[in-house]
Amino acid sequence: MKKSGSEILESLNIKALIESLIAIFIGFLIGAIVLGAFGYDPLSAYYWLFQGALGSTYGIASTLRYATPIMLTALTFALGTRTGIFNIGAEGSFYFGAIAAVIFTNIWANMWFGLAMGMLLGALWALPAAALKVYRGVHEVISTIMLNWIGWFFVLWLIVGPYANPNDPNKTIRIPIEARLPNIGYGLSIAIIIAVIAAALTYFLLWHTTLGFSMRASGMNPKAARYGGMSPKKAVMWSFILGGLLSGLGGAMKIMGEGPTYAISQGGANIYGFGFDGIGVSLVGRNHPLGIILAALFFGMLRAGTALMQAEAQVPLEIIKVIQGIIVITVAIPGLYDLIKKVARRGAA
Amino acid sequence: MEKQPIIEMKGIVKVYPDGTKALKGVDLTVYQGEILGLLGENGAGKTTLMKILFGMLHPTSGRILIRGKEVQFRSPSDAITHGIGMVHQHFTLVEVFDALHNIILGMEGHGLFSRIDVKKAREKLQKLMNDLNFQVPLDVPVEDLPVGVQQRIEILKMLFRDIDVLILDEPTAVLTPIEVEELFRVLRHLKEEGKTIIFISHKLNEVIELTDRVTVIRKGEVIGTVETKTATPQLLARMMVGRDVVLRIEKPPKEAGEPILKVENLSVKGDRGEKAVKSLSFEVRAGEIFGIAGVEGNGQTELIEAITGLRKPENGRVYLNNVDITGKGPRELYGLGMAHIPEDRTHMGLILEMTVTENALLGLQWKRDFQRWSGVINWRRARGHAKSLIEEFDISAPGTEAPVKSLSGGNQQKLIVAREVSKAPVLIVAAQPTRGVDVASTEYIRNYLVKLRNEGKAVLLVSADLDEVVQLSDRMGIIYEGEFMGVVKPEEVSTEEIGMMMGGIRYEEIRK
Repeated sequence: MKKSGSEILESLNIKALIESLIAIFIGFLIGAIVLGAFGYDPLSAYYWLFQGALGSTYGIASTLRYATPIMLTALTFALGTRTGIFNIGAEGSFYFGAIAAVIFTNIWANMWFGLAMGMLLGALWALPAAALKVYRGVHEVISTIMLNWIGWFFVLWLIVGPYANPNDPNKTIRIPIEARLPNIGYGLSIAIIIAVIAAALTYFLLWHTTLGFSMRASGMNPKAARYGGMSPKKAVMWSFILGGLLSGLGGAMKIMGEGPTYAISQGGANIYGFGFDGIGVSLVGRNHPLGIILAALFFGMLRAGTALMQAEAQVPLEIIKVIQGIIVITVAIPGLYDLIKKVARRGAA
Repeated sequence: MEKQPIIEMKGIVKVYPDGTKALKGVDLTVYQGEILGLLGENGAGKTTLMKILFGMLHPTSGRILIRGKEVQFRSPSDAITHGIGMVHQHFTLVEVFDALHNIILGMEGHGLFSRIDVKKAREKLQKLMNDLNFQVPLDVPVEDLPVGVQQRIEILKMLFRDIDVLILDEPTAVLTPIEVEELFRVLRHLKEEGKTIIFISHKLNEVIELTDRVTVIRKGEVIGTVETKTATPQLLARMMVGRDVVLRIEKPPKEAGEPILKVENLSVKGDRGEKAVKSLSFEVRAGEIFGIAGVEGNGQTELIEAITGLRKPENGRVYLNNVDITGKGPRELYGLGMAHIPEDRTHMGLILEMTVTENALLGLQWKRDFQRWSGVINWRRARGHAKSLIEEFDISAPGTEAPVKSLSGGNQQKLIVAREVSKAPVLIVAAQPTRGVDVASTEYIRNYLVKLRNEGKAVLLVSADLDEVVQLSDRMGIIYEGEFMGVVKPEEVSTEEIGMMMGGIRYEEIRK
């Protein structure tokens, strides 16, 4: 097993890593120019960004906490691209994971049961898009976007309707105390550990199992996969199902692991948008599970640094969002470029 | 009269961005009014050199002189302005346009509202075709025309632009023997008209038949130029590969054994729902190479796909070792002892982005030998497997973890053959096993197929290369529009007879 370290690096691709680091640097540079143009001191702004994200135990805990859900939704997207599909259904599965946690932990207050049901519902919600793709050839971008909205309004109805908290009608009922994820400290739960394990398992699946082999083969060349005795349709099915499962897990852990309320808040505000952010995380991480861990931490860091950047460097939230957007776009460009190239080539073939 | 050089290329060097030295200082002289053959193996640099002459690629260093004057081409249109035209191996036609519009495409003028004088163009084109005795239908969408006609359109496209030098890149690769004859007739006629032709090929006989002089290129260098009159196939082959090539295959006589593959009344539909294979029956026996010859597109692809489990047949049955395998998928078939060398190396036989190891495992991934425990791949074993294939088949690869796209075409094909043979099959279905493969690898692969036959395996060989089928097969079926025109022993028929069957005449009618 001595070789496995270098093997993992090989599959991650050193060149990609260096490209991403250069992109991060350029992103920060452009961000600095924008900050300067608006009359803020970029050095001080970035100092407080990093101070907020990494300068204290609390900051680091925040970084990790922000990184958790997007790590899982990014894995969903990565599983898709590796299988040759553009699955943006992570968002919908995330909602269902979250609501499943609320519903089922209140039936049986057990953490593992809650997580399992979150994964199950997340996977189930991925099924329609998978079936439409495999049996009817419906493009997954169309179906997943529509299903995301269907899921969103359905879950919203559950939040304000059957599962609203009678004492606090803006929110859902809470996760029972016995079913909440254990707290490591500073508001951080074991969710981050589970997410990292999920990334490692995803890596193992893709590069060390027959299923992963056929998923990757189908993604690169479905014709050759079929010739090799694999079933690209099956691979696509699994990619959707496992992807939904990961995002479902993300949604469940978001509610079961984050206080103080341990409930879905008004209008679903604390479960919205993680699936979309996951796409960015996955691109930055080059659709590789280990790259995704790093990319999610990077995104988490940007988010965790916001508070101090605002308070100490006096940068308004809007500008911070602009800067973060610039950095994220710059960093995502190499991955995006690869993806577009791949899609274009498939179109040509 | 002293011959006038029309093109002189001097010291052409081309280094690709990835460091590959495609051309290492090539000198080439082309004389006015001659047909020059440019002979070389795949990857020797023939096409690169001609793309430089046509302005598609820029040389790293070196000079090009046209009629003694140095030129620098920034694009193909510069080359065309100087009277140089090129017909590519892969056609560049707009499939839904008719011939006329394909030919005038790009000549519509640069103003936003420039008018295209279609009528004048048609008249000019008609005159050109009449002069050349070389007709194409001008008003039919080119996608409905046979490949040979499409090629003529490409040639006309160039002639329409008043070029003096015509470069043809492997023009016969896609043609039937009759179309090749027709092409040669046209080229000779063009020569009489004073045009100069550069003919890229790796087929010895064609070069000898057509050209005046031959320049041989090997690994980016010119090995020499000879007058075709004085050249022999042996001499050219030696120049091309750097050693004597045994172009004959040693094949001892052998009694065929039990039928291994039985095909009964098999009908298969093509992609557009057309009847591609029409109630075909044959068998392939142990220790026998059964060849299928024919012009491409006569149902060979559909037949192979139906036998190897990649396409559902419409009717009929297929048996492997007396087991009914009709409609079974590839995975099951491999388990029953089938191996398949697919015709499309880069789109089916290999996954180019994957490593040599991963490709060596394709189709074998479920074998217990390569599983650590159920469903988990044992990469150490897989690497060992790849390594042994590389050694046994003398595949030149940077390593087992290199992406397969970094291998040359010939080595990629050897890897496929190696992998398929390692499945310990009873039946090998080999489709176009040496297409686009260099001479040395071709020889190796052909001999290997004979070796498998000698070991008592059944081999079903499908190839567009008639020589290959004739040389290797014990029996051969000539397919035309999804039916056999005849099933014969190669030594019992003449090339002309095979050609007639490929053209759709039944054997019984020929022998009447």
